[in-house]
Amino acid sequence: MVFLQNLVQIIYYVMAGLIALSLVKSFFKRKKNDNWVYDIMYAYCIIPFLLRVLHIK
Amino acid sequence: MSTTMLTLILLIVMLIAFILSSIKLKSPDISMVVAAVVLAIAGVIAVPELGSPIRYLVEGLFVNLDLAMLFIAASIFVNIYAYSGALSTVTRGIVSKVGNKWVLMSILGILMLLPGAITGAGSISIFVLGGLVDIVLTHLGVNQKKRTVFIFFFAILSAAAPPINLWTMLMCAQANMPYVGFTWLLLIPIIIAGAVCIVYVGWGAKPESKEAILAQLPEKTEGMTWWRILLPVVVIAALFVLAVYAPWNLPVLGLPLMFVISAIVALLCNPKKTTVKDYGEILDNTMEQVFPLVANVLSIGVLQSAMAATGVRGLLGSTFLGLPLILIYCLIVIVGPIMQGCFNYGVSVVLGGPLIFMFNTFGMDVTVICAALSLIFPMGDGLPPSRITGRLACEETKYKGSYTGFLKSALLPMLVLGVIAVIMIVTPATFDFLY
Repeated sequence: MVFLQNLVQIIYYVMAGLIALSLVKSFFKRKKNDNWVYDIMYAYCIIPFLLRVLHIK
Repeated sequence: MSTTMLTLILLIVMLIAFILSSIKLKSPDISMVVAAVVLAIAGVIAVPELGSPIRYLVEGLFVNLDLAMLFIAASIFVNIYAYSGALSTVTRGIVSKVGNKWVLMSILGILMLLPGAITGAGSISIFVLGGLVDIVLTHLGVNQKKRTVFIFFFAILSAAAPPINLWTMLMCAQANMPYVGFTWLLLIPIIIAGAVCIVYVGWGAKPESKEAILAQLPEKTEGMTWWRILLPVVVIAALFVLAVYAPWNLPVLGLPLMFVISAIVALLCNPKKTTVKDYGEILDNTMEQVFPLVANVLSIGVLQSAMAATGVRGLLGSTFLGLPLILIYCLIVIVGPIMQGCFNYGVSVVLGGPLIFMFNTFGMDVTVICAALSLIFPMGDGLPPSRITGRLACEETKYKGSYTGFLKSALLPMLVLGVIAVIMIVTPATFDFLY
């Protein structure tokens, strides 16, 4: 059970990483909402996912 | 200067920042972050012992991170499931089997209650079934605004429905009460309010003939069988149920991972020939589609964190508790949802817990009061600044009209729910027989 729980935790880190990558991609290349307000929003929304992947928080 | 006065000034500063940035930037999400930044800086200037404001802002980004991941995972599942053609096949099946408008709407209402009741989040009901409900209601002749009301109202009811009601759970945890005896106390008002909503939404709607409806629906996907339709839904339902009833026999998966597992099952059940590039496109579109919601919940977290650190959150709660009892009875149905709009589930901590303690000192039945409060709070899920469920309902039905107009349309069923809850708070002993 401990192994499975650790595995789930690792999967969540991977998910956070994939979401961060996807947000970075959308930050540079997206079909709609391409004004500067959304640039700022994308920028701060990436932060928690990146910090989670880097094990900082 | 007294602490209360200082906190009040901080609250005013925050409100001014929020209003000005809302006018200038025209986005409630970034306005919440601007207000939070201004509040955190003002708070640190007023009380230097608070330390760096950056700490509160970064911590705030993590308050609703799990919720953001849940929204993303649920959207991926629903979009892959819809892409496979399962939703359109189910819609065709329901429309061809059930002819009566009221029976059909009741089935849709009950179906919408299930995902939220099991997960505790009304948004899940919208993600899983919102699209399907919207299509069926459209063909039943219900106009767009009322369709949005139906989806929104049943989503908030599903969040309040047992077995998982997060507001009640949080209040019970604070007041050291067992989470027992709430099933019928929550379910009976939900059934009454749900029935009123069905009658209100369906009144005057003229359904198209079955043949006309079927002609407008997408054709059945080639190779789509019932097991392909059912398997992803059965997997997610089984994971929900196992998490609730067999928590010691499997690891804590968490809702986002459950949706990812079901998305993989939906992908394997997809009968269409789909390339990796197609799936990549689905994922990209999903991220763009769900991003405003992700930004919204993360921004709310930042604002909540700044408000908690500076004492503004506590000021709002303690000011309300200081009012005379008769005013609390009159205002709870307004203040509760407004605070829910600001703090989401945090309202149970800021307002719910202290109210439970207060009514307990009066010797009133707090189990009934706790249930009543947790029927009031979800109504705020449609109110700004967060309006998570309301916004999702609007996106699901592609409602582009005035948001205030939508809220006005939802007023009647919400009023019924609110009146029942207030009666429960005023005369809790009358409802003892329900547990």
